[in-house]
Amino acid sequence: MKDCENISESMGRWLDGELSPAESESIRAHVAQCAACREAQRKLEKLQLALEGALMAESKSIEFEPFWRAVQLRIAEKRTWYEDALDWSRGLFTASRAAWAIPALIALLLAVASLESYFPGWRGGAGRNAFAAVDSIDAHGRNVALLREYDSKTTVIWLYEDQEGENETAEEPPPPGPAF
Amino acid sequence: MKLPKNLRRRVLLFSLLSFIVAAGRGAAQKQPQIVQVKIGTILASNKNDEFDAKLKGLENQLRVLKYRSYRLLKDESQNVPWQGSKVFEIPGGRSLMVALQEFQDNRIGLKVRLTEGQKPLLDTTVRIANRGNFILGGPPHEGGVLVLSISAVAQ
Ligand SMILES: [Zn+2]
Repeated sequence: MKDCENISESMGRWLDGELSPAESESIRAHVAQCAACREAQRKLEKLQLALEGALMAESKSIEFEPFWRAVQLRIAEKRTWYEDALDWSRGLFTASRAAWAIPALIALLLAVASLESYFPGWRGGAGRNAFAAVDSIDAHGRNVALLREYDSKTTVIWLYEDQEGENETAEEPPPPGPAF
Repeated sequence: MKLPKNLRRRVLLFSLLSFIVAAGRGAAQKQPQIVQVKIGTILASNKNDEFDAKLKGLENQLRVLKYRSYRLLKDESQNVPWQGSKVFEIPGGRSLMVALQEFQDNRIGLKVRLTEGQKPLLDTTVRIANRGNFILGGPPHEGGVLVLSISAVAQ
């Protein structure tokens, strides 16, 4: 039986499923009866999940449609695109390549960052981006409606009076639409 | 303790993405010195089926409102300095104050106040795409309603 120190050394590879069946079994047996190692396992799994969540959140904030299209084929493959990206980025830091690869990486990132200023909307987000976003409305007690129409990318803020007299209705049809 | 390989990958990918996002934000926050704000004041009514040819570019948006006729009453542009504001006179004794709030991700944040005489009718904050617009409408005018197209272009 391995002691706790050895177990914790191998725990990462165990969680990754990289150990032989015999090694896995001996760790599993130890963890089953050792509270300290169970706690270590729990923390490691929690950390993995947390990072996974952060990665998902972070990648959502990048609007990379053109990039996505390029990698969509690869998603269908067994390896995920980010594994490829990681292999690639790991390769960057091997000594022989690092000399040119790091400036190249910086240049690439700067190019990505400045594309927006030369070609606004290049990210293909023009459709979504063209929509006005209404952050607040205060009609000082009057009636107000917010209408968004997707085909024409129209955002309408509509002020209307209470329909006290029916005679006014011809003049002020409230804008039709789903998003009141 | 050695971190699992998946975890190491995630740490590396996370820092890479954070850097890309940070670089993108840095570029997006370059603020324009001046924003040209344009207000088109349109009279919408159901009196006839006339559609003002000067409103061709807005036709798809105006059709959403379901009025029969649209006529451009006034077209006014003003250059608004960064974090400044300008007042536009609107027919019917109304005025529209437009203040620049922010510029981020090629979007322009505007604070807009519509008043009639001294009383405020509406306050709103809106983020529109650079060269985009939004519609503000409803105040009754000459047997129809006023429709304002508010657009902005970063200079
Ligand atoms: Zn143990």
